Amino acid sequence: MSTKLDVYRFDPETDQDPSRKQYEVDLPEYGTVLEGLLEVRDAQDGTLSMRCSCRSAICGSCSMKINGQSRLACKTLISQIEHEGETITVDPMGNMPVIKDLVVDMDSFWDKMKTVGPYLKPEGPEPERENLVSNDSMMRLAVAMNCIMCGACVSDCTVLEVDKSFLGPAALAKAFRFAADPRDGHTEERLKSYVEPSGIWDCTRCNMCVQACPKDVEPMERIMDMRVMAIESGLTDSRGARHVEGFSNSVKHSGLLDEFALARKTFGFPKWGFELAPFGIRRLLRRRLPPIIHKGISTAKRVTRIFERLGV
Amino acid sequence: MRQHDVIVIGGGLAGMRAAQQAQAMGADVAMISKIFPTRSHSAAAQGGINAAVGVGDSWEDHAYDTVKGSDYLGDQDAIEVLCEEGPADIIALERMGVIFNRNGEGQIDMRAFGGATNVRTCYVADQTGQVILHVMWEQLLKSGLTVYSERFVTELLQEDGRISGCVALEIPTGRIEIFQTRAIVLATGGIGQVYYPTTNGLAVTGDGLALAYRAGASLMDMEMIQHHPTTLKANGVLITEGARGEGAYLLNSVGERFMENYAPNMKELASRDVVSRAETMEVRAGRAVDGDCVLLDLRHLGRDLVMTKLTQIFELARDYAGTNVLEEPLPIRPGHHYIMGGIKTDVDGRTWDPSGQGRWKGAEGLFAAGETANVSVHGGNRLGGNSLLDTVVFGRRSGAGAVEYARSVGWASVNENAAINGLESRIKDIFSRPSDGLRAATLRRQMGTAMNDGIAVFRNEEGMQKTLATIRAIKERLPEVSVHNKGRLFNTDLLSVLELDYMLDVAESVGMGAVTRKESRGAHAREDFPDRNDEDWLKHIVVARSEDGQAEVGFLPVTMTKWEPIARTY
Amino acid sequence: MRYAFWPGCVSRGGTPELYPAVTAVAAKVGMELVELDQANCTGAGVLGERNDELVDTLNARNFAIAEQQGLDTLLTICSTCQGVMSSVNYKLRERPEYLAKINENLRAEGLEYKGTVRVTHMMWAIVEEMGLDELKTMVVNPLHGIKVAPFYGCYVLRPRYVLGFDEHPDRGQYLEKIVETLGAEPIDYEGKWRCCGFPIMTINESNGLRMVANHTQAAKDKGAHIMVTPCPLCHISLDEFQPKASNAAGRPINMPVLHLPQMIGSALGFNVKEMGLKRHIISTEPFIQMSGVSRG
Repeated sequence: MSTKLDVYRFDPETDQDPSRKQYEVDLPEYGTVLEGLLEVRDAQDGTLSMRCSCRSAICGSCSMKINGQSRLACKTLISQIEHEGETITVDPMGNMPVIKDLVVDMDSFWDKMKTVGPYLKPEGPEPERENLVSNDSMMRLAVAMNCIMCGACVSDCTVLEVDKSFLGPAALAKAFRFAADPRDGHTEERLKSYVEPSGIWDCTRCNMCVQACPKDVEPMERIMDMRVMAIESGLTDSRGARHVEGFSNSVKHSGLLDEFALARKTFGFPKWGFELAPFGIRRLLRRRLPPIIHKGISTAKRVTRIFERLGV
Repeated sequence: MRQHDVIVIGGGLAGMRAAQQAQAMGADVAMISKIFPTRSHSAAAQGGINAAVGVGDSWEDHAYDTVKGSDYLGDQDAIEVLCEEGPADIIALERMGVIFNRNGEGQIDMRAFGGATNVRTCYVADQTGQVILHVMWEQLLKSGLTVYSERFVTELLQEDGRISGCVALEIPTGRIEIFQTRAIVLATGGIGQVYYPTTNGLAVTGDGLALAYRAGASLMDMEMIQHHPTTLKANGVLITEGARGEGAYLLNSVGERFMENYAPNMKELASRDVVSRAETMEVRAGRAVDGDCVLLDLRHLGRDLVMTKLTQIFELARDYAGTNVLEEPLPIRPGHHYIMGGIKTDVDGRTWDPSGQGRWKGAEGLFAAGETANVSVHGGNRLGGNSLLDTVVFGRRSGAGAVEYARSVGWASVNENAAINGLESRIKDIFSRPSDGLRAATLRRQMGTAMNDGIAVFRNEEGMQKTLATIRAIKERLPEVSVHNKGRLFNTDLLSVLELDYMLDVAESVGMGAVTRKESRGAHAREDFPDRNDEDWLKHIVVARSEDGQAEVGFLPVTMTKWEPIARTY
Repeated sequence: MRYAFWPGCVSRGGTPELYPAVTAVAAKVGMELVELDQANCTGAGVLGERNDELVDTLNARNFAIAEQQGLDTLLTICSTCQGVMSSVNYKLRERPEYLAKINENLRAEGLEYKGTVRVTHMMWAIVEEMGLDELKTMVVNPLHGIKVAPFYGCYVLRPRYVLGFDEHPDRGQYLEKIVETLGAEPIDYEGKWRCCGFPIMTINESNGLRMVANHTQAAKDKGAHIMVTPCPLCHISLDEFQPKASNAAGRPINMPVLHLPQMIGSALGFNVKEMGLKRHIISTEPFIQMSGVSRG
């Protein structure tokens, strides 16, 4: 099967600007983008640089943007993406500086991993043998341990595009792995540090990382897990947590969201007035205010009962 | 020039374990790795890690299974160390954070694996290697180990035969770095890319074996190459033995569970060499699927088991074979997977004979561990689940050995300028060749295909000699190989030439071991010598460099403690 | 076609111009919307940060109400509601034992979700059920000469496996197709598939504003006259927060942002008032002039 590749090229030592180069390769039935690039590098153009090793989606080396989406080149079959267009575009990962061609500098990625304290910190006396823990508790962590640190989620993260200080999906998925480990002795301390600015509340829930992750870690869902854990452990003094509480109360009592009440709760009094006043005036001029008197559904009591049944 | 008491070359499990141990003993340690440590091929180990941690199991049983699995070529003193110390290492890994699947009591759960008389393979779904590798990496972050990542080691430096340092190329920048050290632990993994196809990653190019060989160490039992019974046809990717451990069947084209004919007791869970041979015989008997495959059938295991314990397999089969293993059997075939052979070491990882009697050739100050090394615990055939244990136990022991040695000696001197100039002129020479010359990839593929043709599941004199001749002919052409890329930054084109150079030394030593052993033992199954011959060949074959730089074959006795060789049936 | 209809809170709250535009366009194109007046908030992704089972139960309740009324397709115009409903529905339909557990929570109300409901977004329904050819026949005021930057919003795009992309792999191109059908010209720009910033506006406003500024500016740089979005939350972000984003970025942007139904309605002959085009924060006047939509 003949496949066309359109590849980003840049050698900072010799090139002023990045350029693109087109190649055509012949691949077998289950041919992958990686095999295509290897064919290019081995036979056609040895100046092409990229990282790769295992060929089976476990080492995490070959993450790159394929047709604009971050994916593992070794896990992306040509046949899977044929419908996306005749020519496959290949670019280096985003949110990280390019070293050469498809190779990016992952230092910031590793540095952020380090800041979440990515190792078990047990407390108390060592058990005689292994720690006795339930299989379910370990398999809950296995979802996050699936992470091969390929960087695809970070590459596509929409928050990192506007804020380099955000810890990002990979580091936060790693953070979850320890915050949720029953053998760790520092869960609260961990959660406290993760609710700080640039942490779990800065995720915008765009699902980019969920889509990009080749190992079903669903980093955003792990961040959401930690939001639940943070609120449950009483870390409610943040806009994010207040937003959730306000939202929850409104739906609990009326079945629907009361946007006004939510703003009051999230920003706190009297700040919400200052922050939101300009919006209110502009909205007023455009007849665009939400109803000031919140009207719930007539069966709201039934919704309340569901909340109560689930202890919320 | 950088200086460290101990340098570990290789960032996989054995290397990390060695570095961790050395650092825990207070030494100044650094790790040099060709790829970022978590990219190492240890991550690809799927099924599990063996140790007698379960009730009713004993390390002696594990040792016996291992001795038998090795077809009696394993050194029994080393096997005893592996199996006796293994359980404590597993517990240590668990406490470091390895999640391990659990039984109802919350203890580490175990699954059945090939060649084992007890259920003793600890596992994390089918991603055991990856999880252990990542946890070890976490531990290195915790301890603040110095890691030189993406450095390719081109030479070991010696003074009067003793290790004094090494030369490395920093891949992202193309800078040359010189390291001075008192001891080096080589842990660069196997030789996979010497074969085509292979389950191994592209970075697995036998670097450590070639470095050691060139520094005067011995390569032992190199003919003992393991072909894994279940690899994918499309790209050689591994399908874990854990699938059979969880109960999957092997079927031939007429739907027969053929292992019943070859290993009536253990069937699909016989040793890997036995299963791979059985598959090949089925194919030869005309009961193949897809040309040269048989079928791995997981359908009866049920969705729940597959989706919780064999998730990676489900995905690999779906992605690379278009097969839904819940609904249809998966075509698989034997494929190159592992080398039992490697750098000859003692149980403390030393490559030289510490007795001073010179029983084998080595390099003082040089240690090795993991697949790079041959202690030897796997002998003629490795049991599934023993390789991870090997990396952890002997990684730790070689780290300790290196620190003890480093403390007993002063610094040997390094001529920094000469070392830099040596590599620079080598690179200059490669760059000076015309760009449109021979590609390293072309020769690599020729080598891999020749190895797979002549030194695979079944072998014979003619085929092996032909392969060896091909390897030597390719070696002759090495000076013709040129590169397109003459830049400094991340020049993988240059790297491919340097790696090929290493791989050809390794391939030749495999061929020499193979033609030397005139019997069938473990993975070395000869059509022209179909039987094991303990009288003449119950011994190790070593290949080392002679004074004049040629590869030379020698022999070493096998260490026996309590298990006499008997016929091997499963 | 007959749909159970869930308008979501924002179409009558934060962007009150949307609800009348939707109902007008739906009536015109022959979609019968049966509004679920006893349905509850889907949780908008926020309640999931409190308790997943709660979110699953609340959405199952809505599905059960739709089933009770004999409706098998639940249509919404809020991408966020659609995203939550689709992912809950996926989970409940994949895992019958979990659905049984959720139904226990509904039993007190006498409800049971049988797993028969399909969730769709008005944008999808127009392309997949009504068809663009049909839509084209209804265009009376083609939007010739107008360059439109489509902005999808996250929850109609990701994660693909819960959103039916296996069955409809082109769902990431529908806006462009509709734009073309209405006679306008879609333009491509960085950001059309990215996040609008809304979910973090109350938590980290400066990040949210940067997203708004980036996308509106990118659309403008590529020559877009307007942006169009199928998501009311994206609309709030891109329209209402645009002046602030523009200030923070230190450059004037002034990019009008239309709700998808407003753009469709404008081509189908509705007037400015019916489509609520004067109720935006960023003036839609350039669009009104170029499209020649009746001022009513």
